[in-house]
Amino acid sequence: MKQSAVAIAVDNVTQRFRVIHERPDSLRELFTRFFRNNAQFHDFEAVSKVSFTVGKGEMVGIVGRNGSGKSTLLKIIAGVYRPTSGRVTVNGTIAPLIELGAGMHSELTGRENILINGLLMGYSKAEMKEREERIIDFSEIGEFIDVPIKQYSSGMYMRLAFSVATEVDPEILILDEILAVGDLPFQNKCFDRLRAFRASGKTILLVTHSMGNIVDFCDRAILMDHGRMMLDGSPKEVVEAFEAASLPHKHELVEAETS
Amino acid sequence: MTELVRESLRYRELIWALALKELKIRYKRSALGFLWALLNPMLQMLVLTLVFSTILSMNVPHYAVFLLSVLIPWTFFSQSLSYAADSIVGNGDLIKKIRVAKLVFPMAAVVSNMINFLLSLIPTALIVLALRHPFHWTWIFLPVPLIALTIFTLGATFFFAVANVYYRDVGHILQIVLQLWFYVSPIMFSIDFFPAKYRWLFKLNPLIFVLNQFRLSIYYGLLPALDSIIAAFVCAFVALGIGYWIFRKHQDEFVFYV
Repeated sequence: MKQSAVAIAVDNVTQRFRVIHERPDSLRELFTRFFRNNAQFHDFEAVSKVSFTVGKGEMVGIVGRNGSGKSTLLKIIAGVYRPTSGRVTVNGTIAPLIELGAGMHSELTGRENILINGLLMGYSKAEMKEREERIIDFSEIGEFIDVPIKQYSSGMYMRLAFSVATEVDPEILILDEILAVGDLPFQNKCFDRLRAFRASGKTILLVTHSMGNIVDFCDRAILMDHGRMMLDGSPKEVVEAFEAASLPHKHELVEAETS
Repeated sequence: MTELVRESLRYRELIWALALKELKIRYKRSALGFLWALLNPMLQMLVLTLVFSTILSMNVPHYAVFLLSVLIPWTFFSQSLSYAADSIVGNGDLIKKIRVAKLVFPMAAVVSNMINFLLSLIPTALIVLALRHPFHWTWIFLPVPLIALTIFTLGATFFFAVANVYYRDVGHILQIVLQLWFYVSPIMFSIDFFPAKYRWLFKLNPLIFVLNQFRLSIYYGLLPALDSIIAAFVCAFVALGIGYWIFRKHQDEFVFYV
């Protein structure tokens, strides 16, 4: 593995999506459209020419309104999307916690899900067996671990998912809005774990709407708006800019409703 | 092709776990559970034997063995395809959330049906014994057609898994195609039952060699000719080559369509 001070390099990345307008108004229209094969669509750029780097051991927060491209950006870095243009370079193993519980199946037990989840994230069976007990401990699931997870409460489900995702010890951690998991004591455990990750020199990329978390935890922050990167600076600076920009957007809402 | 082998080895634990998961889920809600894997071919055979040997008075001794010897590899093929067609679309949520090698999903579908196939050899053997049909030593030859069939099936599953991502109609069309394919394959009959001038029609079917080999080994106790074995493997590798080529070309786009 190449050793370098840069953990993540995002270079002029653009992600374009094609939105297909479905729902033909009549059956006849459906047929004519089908035969003419001209489904209506428009392209939009969810992420537009974004560049930044994250150094090893840095914790960077990404803020922005809904639909500003934060999650798309994380998914590109995690390798879920291949960007339309631009390059992403990642040095180190990466654990994307984009949506917790991906790959969990409700008919399987907690223990079975731990294994499948770990394998899906690229770990071996032996590695997962070794971590199993620690995951169960941290999640506080107890004897429910051998019960199908469809019988779990949503809190238990999230706790298990969080434990699996963070016990696997990646070099780079990507967190998308997942810190509000479980009850208050468990949330504190999550934050403790996050601090431990930071202290041990891991790189962390965090998307959250909690400005407090950005200021408390991050070394740096990035502000996204309509797919573009507006600002890359200190957490305080970015949070202030975001809050200032968030206030006068009433006219946009009116526009959206009338169009 | 070497890439396919390398990737399958690299993800073997995941493929295996996904295949077991699929089986577990398939049988989880049923009272008899895994027994269904054994019961299914028996019951299917019962229905078809009833129809063909009794009602249509097909004149084949031990028709059940004759039929079953080809029906179980066919079931492996058609079930794999049905499962695999949905394997990418059905795992869309996952594909949208984590980076994962896409090939594990169709492969897991094939592996889980392979397990089913191996299990269904048990009732087949029981029926052979019950009907006092000779237990031919040629059973040991079965791995050869099974490997050819698996390679062919993998190719077909890759193709249909991709096609279904772009056009969901494919899943429905596939069921019709499989039904037609079933009737033009020498499953309930043998092509010798037809006049010689029509037999070439059946030979257009790429599965014919491999299916016949199963019947030869289990029912007739004969070894297939070498050219039949070669033909089976040629069909298999052509199917895999085309299927995997298409899959590879499109796998990075799946996430935008599921």
